[in-house]
Amino acid sequence: MGPAEWWSRGEKRPFSLFLLIAGLHFVAILLFTRGFLLTRTELPHYSNCSDVSRSPCVPPTQFNQTNRNPLCWTKPAVDRLVIIVLDALRFDFVAPSTFFEERKPWMDKLQVLHKLASRPGSSARIFKAIADPPTTSLQRLKGLTTGGLPTFIDVGNSFGGSAIVEDNLVHQLVQNGKRVAMMGDDTWLQVFPHHFNKSYPFPSFNVKDLDTVDNGCIKHLLPALYEEDWDVLIAHFLGVDHAGHIFGVDSIPMIEKLEQYNAILEKVIEPLESQSGPGGLHENTLLLVMGDHGQTLNGDHGGGTAEEVETSIFALSLKKPPSSVALELDTSSCQLDLDGRKMCISSIQQLDFAVTVSALLGVPFPFGSIGLVNPELYAVAAGTWNLESSNVDSCQKQSNLEKWLQNYVNVLCINSWQVKRYIDVYSTSSVIGFSNEDLLHVSDMYTQAEENWLHTKKELMLHENESCHISLPTLKRQIDAYFKFLASAAELARSKWTEFNLKMMGIGFGIMLISLFIHFLAIKRIDKLFGVSVPSSCNSGISFWLIFAYIVVALRACSFLSNSYILEEGKAASFLLATTGILNLRYSIMKKKMLLEAMVFLLLISIVRFTIELGLSKRAFSSVLSNICPSWMLGIANGCPVWEYVAEIVPILALFLLAFMLYKSIARSSCQGFLKYVIIGTMFSYMLIAVYWALESNVLSLPLVLGGIKRNFIPRIIYAIGFVQLLSLALVQFFNEERSSDWEEGIVIKTVAMLSAWSSTIIILSGKQGPLVAFASVVGGWCITRSESLELDTKKWNSRILTFYSFPVTQWSLLAVCLFFCTGHWCAFDGLRYAAAFIGFDEFILIPQAVLLTIDTFGFSHILPIFGLPFIVACQYSFGQAEQRKRFFFMHLSQVYLMYGLIMATTMTFTILCVTIQRRHLMVWGLFAPKFVFDVVGLTLTDILICFASLYYFG
Amino acid sequence: MEKRKKKPVKASMGGNGTVSSASPSHAFLLHLICGLGLASSFWVANNVYSVNLITNPSQTLRLIWVIEAPIVILLYSLFRKNPDQCSYLKAVGRSMLVLPAGAVVNALGAIALGAPVGIQYFLRTLNWSLLMSLLTFVPAATVFGSSWTDWRRLFAHSKPIGSIDYMICLPAHGAVIGAWFGAWPMPLDWERPWQEWPISVSYGAMAGYLVAMVASFGFVLWHGDRQHVKGD
Repeated sequence: MGPAEWWSRGEKRPFSLFLLIAGLHFVAILLFTRGFLLTRTELPHYSNCSDVSRSPCVPPTQFNQTNRNPLCWTKPAVDRLVIIVLDALRFDFVAPSTFFEERKPWMDKLQVLHKLASRPGSSARIFKAIADPPTTSLQRLKGLTTGGLPTFIDVGNSFGGSAIVEDNLVHQLVQNGKRVAMMGDDTWLQVFPHHFNKSYPFPSFNVKDLDTVDNGCIKHLLPALYEEDWDVLIAHFLGVDHAGHIFGVDSIPMIEKLEQYNAILEKVIEPLESQSGPGGLHENTLLLVMGDHGQTLNGDHGGGTAEEVETSIFALSLKKPPSSVALELDTSSCQLDLDGRKMCISSIQQLDFAVTVSALLGVPFPFGSIGLVNPELYAVAAGTWNLESSNVDSCQKQSNLEKWLQNYVNVLCINSWQVKRYIDVYSTSSVIGFSNEDLLHVSDMYTQAEENWLHTKKELMLHENESCHISLPTLKRQIDAYFKFLASAAELARSKWTEFNLKMMGIGFGIMLISLFIHFLAIKRIDKLFGVSVPSSCNSGISFWLIFAYIVVALRACSFLSNSYILEEGKAASFLLATTGILNLRYSIMKKKMLLEAMVFLLLISIVRFTIELGLSKRAFSSVLSNICPSWMLGIANGCPVWEYVAEIVPILALFLLAFMLYKSIARSSCQGFLKYVIIGTMFSYMLIAVYWALESNVLSLPLVLGGIKRNFIPRIIYAIGFVQLLSLALVQFFNEERSSDWEEGIVIKTVAMLSAWSSTIIILSGKQGPLVAFASVVGGWCITRSESLELDTKKWNSRILTFYSFPVTQWSLLAVCLFFCTGHWCAFDGLRYAAAFIGFDEFILIPQAVLLTIDTFGFSHILPIFGLPFIVACQYSFGQAEQRKRFFFMHLSQVYLMYGLIMATTMTFTILCVTIQRRHLMVWGLFAPKFVFDVVGLTLTDILICFASLYYFG
Repeated sequence: MEKRKKKPVKASMGGNGTVSSASPSHAFLLHLICGLGLASSFWVANNVYSVNLITNPSQTLRLIWVIEAPIVILLYSLFRKNPDQCSYLKAVGRSMLVLPAGAVVNALGAIALGAPVGIQYFLRTLNWSLLMSLLTFVPAATVFGSSWTDWRRLFAHSKPIGSIDYMICLPAHGAVIGAWFGAWPMPLDWERPWQEWPISVSYGAMAGYLVAMVASFGFVLWHGDRQHVKGD
């Protein structure tokens, strides 16, 4: 059976094959992702004061009619709150060294906290706070203020910024008329851009700088303690975090920092205490000194080890509680410290922070919080009501403890109702909700607790005359019931949102392997078919090139197992690409031709390599710099006016050059009437881009003739032209019967038309570097196809296609990877060029901007290379009898697409393997998971594009 | 890695001039002395100048190539092709010329592959590429001069014939491949001082060179045996 027959039998076979593979990939990725990525939907709901009337609980107004302010969910226990956040505060920085096996040099440095906490009858307490990983500051701030669990992807409208859109503590404070002041780490301003009355942010990105943020904080914090214009004051110190990153925990700078903090805290507590008398400024103030996360001895954080998640909260209420309360609820452990003072330390989940502070300040609990009001932290301050003023009438006998407990039960009731509401709303509105049995279990507990409470209250009503209060055991039972419900709800949420599903991940990985196997079999089969069909098939065996291609792909794939190589992926790819380039050069010397192409290719790789490094160094400055200069060329251009001119002119020249190349390509081909118009459309787009940039540039300073609209007008025209071009190409595909005479040229011109239709949009999105990169990719592609034809003469056309195409296809894919990095992208979310999404748009519209961002991110690295693949086959295909040629050609083309897909799928498989192995790694959320997401999107896009390409080219 | 690209020199000599051949004992001695040369240069660096590759890469590399250069050039000149037409001095002279030229080629290759560029790296790259040139191109230049066919046979086709070819071709390839592998640990975040450019690459190159010399000796032995069998 000849290939011709085979091919005519399965005219649609390549497409269905591609579709099958794409489907397998999709299933594998979906399963793996569901097991690996912790997804939680951010709900846009907010809690309101009035909501509480819908709860079955007693609103606080019943207890207290004398208060001047209308009460909200709970009775406020403190008026003002000072939160001092010490970044990366390890638990053993705060707790006395007697709590640990061994005394280390960095322990017992914050003596002032020990002194306060151990003072007899004091209202200060040290807590061990347990954070949820990922233990990075941004995620922790989210966790602390929303009371929710962190997830890797917060699905929602958090596109383009890190601002918290979920309901959170700061929002509730602002909503309820509290004035919030902030000083220190500017991350707070990122997440709460419009919330603060006063803010003194200091840049946090320079890790080497131990003092700027801290000194700024001190400068503003101490005077602020004498002022009245805030209700909640947040001061975020970064020194310990930075000292840890640079010097490690066991180092002199760290100890100096801690000693400095001890002095600062003394200075803070002194004015607080001096003004805490009746009528004083801090009569009813709560001071919280807390860490957002811990750190390892090396100063790293981000992962989930005990050292990283264990941090501390120190709470000091400046109003002395009349008596100590709720001892039975105490979970603390007590020890004598070095000076022989008794010191108790309790434990709190960081999850509980938001809701406890809300309860203390009397604001509604954040909608998405799943924490519980921590009894001990609540008791530190909530023991301080003026108990005599309330409930004066009937129940004189009621002990303070009972009153406190009754109030606490009520708070817990509201707390439980709020968590239940969140779980209900979440499971109805989220795509991936909770399973039914889990929900049932949780709501059973809730109803039980609730019924119990109703019953108790009814009892109380009935026997109002005999006993005016509920007995202690009943209260404790009730508290236990609520605790049980809240614990199981948090448990459920945690298992759903923070734990990996290994089974699911395993199945996903297995399917991925199967798809690789099928992929490989398909390649082998086509190879064999071709080998059989050609009479003089001499099996050349395993060639050097094939082996080398395997090695390159395997090396690149294996390099993903280490975080270092993922960080330097661009460099590694260019290293491999340069290696292939050097081999090409060697080969061309051997064959004594194509020397120029090989040299040009090497030169191109060197240039690409330098731009990748530029991108990497830009990455080091993080997002701050990239906001200022979106394109790296502008970064260079700063300063010297000549360079500025060059930076303006060169891209435009490159655009003209590209347009000229397009012109040549249509001039050379005979007719192909319709496609010609498509390409002419692109040339017109290029001219528009040039005009757009000329208008934008401040060098030429053209008069703004067209006013404000024109800024968005031109890009939109270009997008529209591109869209129409693609549409018409698709239509032509369906309606136009192509003539079989000059189909070879037809394929080339079809490819050119397709590429050009995409190129204008990609170029304008990439900014000024666009035309240069486009030019580089044209040159690169040309070199690869040219040097590939070197091999052709020697091996003749009877060599197996697997051997033949493996090397150029590998080169092609490596070049694509390099282009991704040299356009200033990298595999992290701050590597997305958000500015690109706003070219042509001023306001935020989700869908078009997501599409634009995708095109910008993957344009040069996925879209263009995949649609350009026919060049590899077409440019050297000139053998065989005429009637067979076409069949062979399409066979080769499908083989090339299969290979390209296989290379992409192999790297993806190794990424999957890598994140599975490293799922407990420190950098899993910072590095591996973003890489995984980029690869997933890349592979999905590759599959889809290959399917489209096969439809388009195979017809 | 920096694979060979040689300047196209007018090939005045034919490829099949009289090929001087080397006996296994010659090959053994030559490789031994070259290897000892490397070792002694390390020894001198450590004990006389008390520098090493990690703390002072550029000085050490300079020391190595300065000590190794006369050994390689003088020894390989003994095996020059057409000893009648080409004097010993001429062979030494042309190898001196190729040393910097080969260094440029090596440096360009390294830069294409990602070697850092900058003033602070200039001396290191210079010394490293001189050493590489010494390990790769200089022996070939000493023996074959500007015979383009021979160069092509050795470096583009990598098809050595005869014992001298093995003695030139294998160590050169070994050095290049070793250097290529030596570059891989560089991006790792172990933060060891030897991960700096060009320390690990130099170690790789020298290790590859030594291994390839052993292999070359083996080939020469085997080759000699075969010739011997043929002679019988």
